[in-house]
Amino acid sequence: MTRSFLKRKATALVFTTMFTMLLAACGGGGGSGDGGNGGGGSTPPPVVVEKPATRAEAARFLTQATFGPNDAAIDRVMDIGYAAWIDEQFALPATSHRSHWEARNAEIAAATPGSTAGQDQVFESFWKQAVTGPDQLRQRTAFALSQIFVISMVDGNVGNDPRSVAAWLDMLGDQGLGTYRGLLESVSRHPMMGYYLSHLRNQKADPRTGRVPDENYAREVMQLFSIGLVELNEDGTARTGTGGAALETYTPVDISGMARVFTGFSWTCPDWPDNNCFFSGSNGGVSNPDRGFLPMKGYPQYHSTEVKTFLGTSIAAQTTSAPDASLATAMDTLANHANVGPFIGRQLIQRLVTSNPSAAYVTAVSRVFANNGSGVRGDMKAVVKAVLMNPEARTTSDTSGKLREPVLRLSAYLRAFPHSSDTGYWRVGNTDNAGTSLGQTPLRAPSVFNFYRPGYVAPGTQSATRNMASPEMQLVSETTAAGFVNYMRDNLSSGVGATNTTVNGVVRNRRDVQPDFTAELALAGDAPALMARVADRLSYGNFGAAAQTDAAAAVTSIVIPAATGSNQAAIDTAKRNRVNAAVLLVLASPEFQVQK
Amino acid sequence: MSPPVSHPMNTSRRLFLQHGSILSALAGTGAPLALNLLAAGSAAAQTAGDYRAVVCLFLFGGNDAYNMVLPTDTASWNAYTATRNQAPDPISLLAPGTAPVGTAAAGSPARLGGVLPIAPLNAQSRTFALHPLMGSLQTMFDSDRRLAILPNIGPLVAPTTKAQYAQASYPKPARLFSHNDQQSTWQSLAPEGASAGWGGRIADALAATNTRTVFTSVSATGSAVWLSGRSVRQYQVSPAGAIRLGANANGQVYGSTAVADALNRMAGTARGTHVLQADMAAVAQRSIDAEALLRTTLRPASDSAFGTAPPSGNYNPNNDPKLQYTNPITGNSAFNALAQQLQVVARMVDAGMSGATGVRRQVFFVSLGGFDSHDFQNRNQADNLARVAQALRYFDTTLGALNARANVTTFTGSDFGRTFTSNGDGTDHGWGSHHFVMGGAVRGGDLYGRFPTLGLKNANNNNFDSSADQLGNGAMLPGTSVDQLGSTLARWFGLSDSQILDVFPNLANFDAGVRNLGFLTA
Repeated sequence: MTRSFLKRKATALVFTTMFTMLLAACGGGGGSGDGGNGGGGSTPPPVVVEKPATRAEAARFLTQATFGPNDAAIDRVMDIGYAAWIDEQFALPATSHRSHWEARNAEIAAATPGSTAGQDQVFESFWKQAVTGPDQLRQRTAFALSQIFVISMVDGNVGNDPRSVAAWLDMLGDQGLGTYRGLLESVSRHPMMGYYLSHLRNQKADPRTGRVPDENYAREVMQLFSIGLVELNEDGTARTGTGGAALETYTPVDISGMARVFTGFSWTCPDWPDNNCFFSGSNGGVSNPDRGFLPMKGYPQYHSTEVKTFLGTSIAAQTTSAPDASLATAMDTLANHANVGPFIGRQLIQRLVTSNPSAAYVTAVSRVFANNGSGVRGDMKAVVKAVLMNPEARTTSDTSGKLREPVLRLSAYLRAFPHSSDTGYWRVGNTDNAGTSLGQTPLRAPSVFNFYRPGYVAPGTQSATRNMASPEMQLVSETTAAGFVNYMRDNLSSGVGATNTTVNGVVRNRRDVQPDFTAELALAGDAPALMARVADRLSYGNFGAAAQTDAAAAVTSIVIPAATGSNQAAIDTAKRNRVNAAVLLVLASPEFQVQK
Repeated sequence: MSPPVSHPMNTSRRLFLQHGSILSALAGTGAPLALNLLAAGSAAAQTAGDYRAVVCLFLFGGNDAYNMVLPTDTASWNAYTATRNQAPDPISLLAPGTAPVGTAAAGSPARLGGVLPIAPLNAQSRTFALHPLMGSLQTMFDSDRRLAILPNIGPLVAPTTKAQYAQASYPKPARLFSHNDQQSTWQSLAPEGASAGWGGRIADALAATNTRTVFTSVSATGSAVWLSGRSVRQYQVSPAGAIRLGANANGQVYGSTAVADALNRMAGTARGTHVLQADMAAVAQRSIDAEALLRTTLRPASDSAFGTAPPSGNYNPNNDPKLQYTNPITGNSAFNALAQQLQVVARMVDAGMSGATGVRRQVFFVSLGGFDSHDFQNRNQADNLARVAQALRYFDTTLGALNARANVTTFTGSDFGRTFTSNGDGTDHGWGSHHFVMGGAVRGGDLYGRFPTLGLKNANNNNFDSSADQLGNGAMLPGTSVDQLGSTLARWFGLSDSQILDVFPNLANFDAGVRNLGFLTA
């Protein structure tokens, strides 16, 4: 019964979506046909797309739900369909990023006493799981959430505790598929967030001297992690008051009230709530070695007992200081605010599927956020499923989809062609440099406002003239356009990441992550066939025939010498150059760089 | 010192060819806007004397100006010390003349020593000083007279008193105190979501005087709304110079010229009708075209005008002594990425003045982050201000070597100022802030705008009834608007009164007599 209800609702959504697309097509000149549905006849429109009709459709879905399609994943989605694949993914256990970091730390310390693992080992674990991890949907969701709930190792204090940042990523993968309320509290109590937004060790006001509580977290938890700046309708549009002005969700008075909540939180510590524990995380030389990621504790003596008024809620003055009770009220107030569904839901759609979801799409996700069908609010698995299963996610137009961010371009490449790591560590490393690398490293956003803003409109673009947001375009410039191509050019010819000299006694003298182009090399003598294969693996049909023909001609310009019996090395080099060129020509194209 | 050798005939021919190839390359993208941007404007002859540039140095995060420019008269100093000397980590700097204590904690006021006195030409009956690590700016203010201070500036819709601020209906900038919105407001006079900034709007008005409009508006850091006009688009150059897409120095990729050429077509052409694909292709094509020109027109960073050539091997900016500052936390010399951003700006100014890039008016954007000093303010701000001081001095010196000081005006901006009160080891979001303008055309050594009164907080709350210039927690209510700064720069650039009012509509709310702050010579 529940199921048929869902189907009815989905039908309505399909109609709404199609109507929206027709309007877009009128304005924009020609939507792309949705191949496969032709043939005419009297069959009614599909209700919910259960299984992809083609491998290209499966690959497109996997571009949204994973770090990139590969054969095994496409086979699985073709076999069991979208919904069952999502459920199967949710059921897979997580692999701990912190465990990887700790194992590496032990190795590094054993090899060079006094040395420790660092940020690079966080990136190793990220890339290892992005490329090879079975729980792709969990990891992709965690990566999306890491761009909504932002901490950054660019910050010195966060950057100096990479083990706890690995634990943060584990937390996002775990709580990110739990409830929003649990996620929000885990975020708010995490010491790395406490460092980043400075509520760790934040003290109550001192009315005598005029010292005030730090307002940083109070502001950003509202602006960025929960409700946003303006009151929202469930479709994500702003609610307006008299004169058409957007209604703001909070004022400086709400921030001052909320700031009192986030006083008196600091490290987990054996001698809690000792004063030294509050300030330094230890007392008499005794500390908890896991304090960097264990939830922050409330220290009553530093917590404000004043009245705390925010968002229409008021916590009465406390005769006994009760930081945990204050925090619980704040978390409940935020998590139950009507804005959260559209505010967080819309951003998840943007991270996974499309930069400009329709009002109907946001509404559908908001409703699932409000109630998963079993009366649970903020069920993140249900929300993620609603994002990926919405009919709008399964259709395309000239304005749908999103730009692939640089990290997801690299991950798609690494998964589209089999890659392996000589060390097994996946030493991709820091990819910050915009001129010579990706200009984006996981968990190293420039600020709590992430690498880009959800509402970013790129000035002077066609998308801007259509009032389309394009968040990822905020990372696109003349510098990054060239930098990405050059980075991938060298990745193709040399492999990815740090250079190893010797691994387990074997001399390598090459970069750690190396491709296996066996299948492509077999086609090197037939440039059109090579281009067709590469285009299929990277662009699921978007890199079309004309582009393939042009690219194949360029590939053919690389001459494979006739065999003389003694020139096999030259032949192999030429073949590999052909494969490299074929792949690079697709990676450089807008057809690849846009996730339609 | 001499400008690079220029060959007018060759340059013209190259410009012509360049335009031709750009036009044909763009023909397939169906992007009239892009055509408009790159098409030839006035072909007026270039004269170095008519070249002018404005450089915005943006301090991301909200710089605490209360610790950058300090009034040191007794009443101000007492209020400052009483307010900011708070446990556990006092952020009140020490009085002029206080000797640094080498054993004190890195970045602490005691370690930094006293603030550095400056002597404004019109001191408004008060005394002033700069942060202890801004000695180079003290010199530029007092001796060189190429640096001026804009006290208590910030976004305003109209002149505003505290009483007016308290009125809900009185017009105020939207979303005060919010980082992203106030960054946008400083740069574009509107909160996040604005698509054109006032640097770009000024450039719109003058782009026709540039034969090559692509270089009208240039970022040496990330994208910035300040640079975007309604027609002018920002061009982003890497601090090391333009980066060639794909090809090596021989024009090849994987040993093939055909692959290199095809790569340009693949990246720079939008096949199909998808909007985002068209946008991506347009950026790539601009990258390719602009680099092709800059490759031959920018002098190398290792040229003695900009940098230091290594004794052997390739130039490495990280090792260039000219781009080093003294890190106050470690005490060691360290690479200053902000100085490298200004290095590429200087290289483009050099090319612009020689006529090689076809520009007479340019706006540039450079930036430094990390000013959001909610905690660890002493260390973090000291490190950042040391970078700012070194980078500005480097830029001034470099422009001097190019004989370009009078042609380039640099100003600082930031999200907002900060609270006067301390939260124990830092400060929170405010509004008004003090800023610098620098250049050979600047009437330096003075304050432009009334320096605000620093008061004491009320006995029973954190309002500052003792000052007409301070709001809750002592945040400054701006006395000068960003529009006034912008209009002063725009006038120097050559915009007419009506053009200025078009770019800065709120300026109409200010008396005509204060729309030009007067810090620039004609």
